[in-house]
Parts: sequence; structure tokens; C-alpha cells
Amino acid sequence: MSDPGEEELDPGDALPEPDDSLRSMLRGALREEGPAPDVLAGVQKKIRERSKGKFYADGWSTAKHPPLNTYLITSLLMLAILGISYALLSPLVGSPEPVRNQPAPVQVIPAH
Amino acid sequence: MADRRDDAAHPVYLQSGVTDAADQAERKFIERLAQRDERAFNELVELYEARVFRLLLRMLGRRDEAEDMAQEVFVQIFKAVGTFRGDSKLSTWIYRVSVNLCKNRMKYLSRRHTAGEDELEPVAERAPLDEAKGVTFGDVAQPDRLVEGYQMERVLQTCISELEPDFREVLILRDVEDLSYEELSEITGLPDGTVKSRLHRARAMLKASVERKMGEKIR
Repeated sequence: MSDPGEEELDPGDALPEPDDSLRSMLRGALREEGPAPDVLAGVQKKIRERSKGKFYADGWSTAKHPPLNTYLITSLLMLAILGISYALLSPLVGSPEPVRNQPAPVQVIPAH
Repeated sequence: MADRRDDAAHPVYLQSGVTDAADQAERKFIERLAQRDERAFNELVELYEARVFRLLLRMLGRRDEAEDMAQEVFVQIFKAVGTFRGDSKLSTWIYRVSVNLCKNRMKYLSRRHTAGEDELEPVAERAPLDEAKGVTFGDVAQPDRLVEGYQMERVLQTCISELEPDFREVLILRDVEDLSYEELSEITGLPDGTVKSRLHRARAMLKASVERKMGEKIR
């Protein structure tokens, strides 16, 4: 931090203000160019990755103990999908052709 | 001064306009942050991202580095906010985290020789220093002065990038960011006297460096 050989001024000492021209040139050289970027999304992503989804997770797929509603909604959703699939596909299914399953007549060969 | 800017920036402070209420609001805000309230943290990022980015850009001199570093600063703040004891203003603590991370980054970059590659070419025929005073690249009305201003800015940028991180830090925080000596002391962790002495040396070094490069004295 502090350089051991660094001379320390008395805190009460008023430091002469810098040369105004140097200061204005310094400010000119370091002025803001363009708007500051939006870093929030990047920060959230980094925190999500480093916390392995503990923070800024979507709260659904990455939660360690998903709430009961998650299971309930998932089950109902699956049932609804199955029901809709059945309703859509059942008219396409034809009725089976009847099969005659009577035994063929037996020809009895007379004995000679 | 920075604290006044904070007060103005914080929506709760705008409503109350009373210091005690503002302090109380900040304490509550810090409690929410310590409890890892993601909404509070989003609010914090939105409040400080521009200031942190600007400071880092001035310290590092590269936009891509500054943006990456700004993200890293907020990640570190998220991790460490539970250890913030409220001894200083939240804004001062954020500046301290930013400056410390930035100095580490500068040391890393200087080891890799990626910083300060942009050597200024010697300018054979250039304008005298006093003609370039106060002229910035934004001054497009007079092309000659524009070139002089641009030249001067490039010299200054190079000289600043050549300053040691400890000197660059105090110079930018005081002369560009307009922070008080007290805030500088809290951010750097140095006694007031050392801050003043370091600042004095930083200004002298910058002035000497600019004059050496331009070949004449700044009046």
C-alpha cells in the first residue's frame, strides 16, 4: 500500500491545487466517450454460473427442491398432452376387418 | 461530493431529502443486499454501473477491459457484501473494491505487456502546448485546433498509462472523479498525509512526463 520511503504530509496541510490547465487537459483526455454499457445481464450470468445456479437461477429447472406446484403442474400438463393426442389421433384409427374364424369343413375320407 | 451524487441518484433519498432518512434507507438497502436479495442487487448494479465503468475505463484505458472488469467488480461485491460493516459509505466501499481489483488487473496486464503498447509516435511538427490547452477532440469547429487537442489528449493518455497504478489511482480519483481527501483515504486505506503526498507526486510526475514528451513547459 504505502511506500515505506514515501514522505507523509501533515493531514492539515493544504495541498496546492493543481495547475488548472493540466487539470482541464486531464479531464479532456479522460472524458467519457459513449454511453456506459449495461453490465447487469453479464453480472447475473457470472453469478449464476459461479454459484452453480443458486443465485439468479430461473427458479424452476435448477432449484434443488422444486416446489410441489412444479410437480403438480408438470403432471397435469402431461395428462393434457396425452388427452389431446388421443383425441386427435383416435379418429384416424380404422376399425379392424372382421375375421372369419370358423373351422374349415372337414372332409372325411371314406375307408376302402 | 460523491456522496451528494449518491443521494441524488438513490430514489429513496430523492423522496426524503433528509440525511438521517437517507442513512436509514441505505442501511436497509445494505441489509437486503446482505440477505442476497437479487432485486436489491439489480438496483445496486443499475445505480453504480456507469460510475464504476467510467472509473475503470479511466484507470485501464480500454473499453473492453473496463466492461469486463466492471462485471467482475459487481460479482465481487455480491460475494463480499455480507462483510461490509457500514464503516464507510456504500459508494466509497464500491470505489475501494473497484480500485483494488483494477490495480490487480493493471499489474497482471503490465506483466503480460499488453498495457501501454500504444506508444506515441514522435510528432515532428506539432503545435505549441499552450495552443492545445482546453481543446478537446470534441472541438470540431476548427480543424487545426482539433488536431492539436487530439495530439495533446494522446500525449496525456500515454503519460497517464505510464504512471504507476498507485499514482494513477489518486490522480484520477481526486482530479477527475472529484472525490474528497477523506474519501481517497478510505478508498486507498492510506493516511490523509500519505494521500496528499502521493497526489502531489502524481501531479508532478504527470506534468514532467507531458512536458518531456511535448518538449516544452506547461504554463
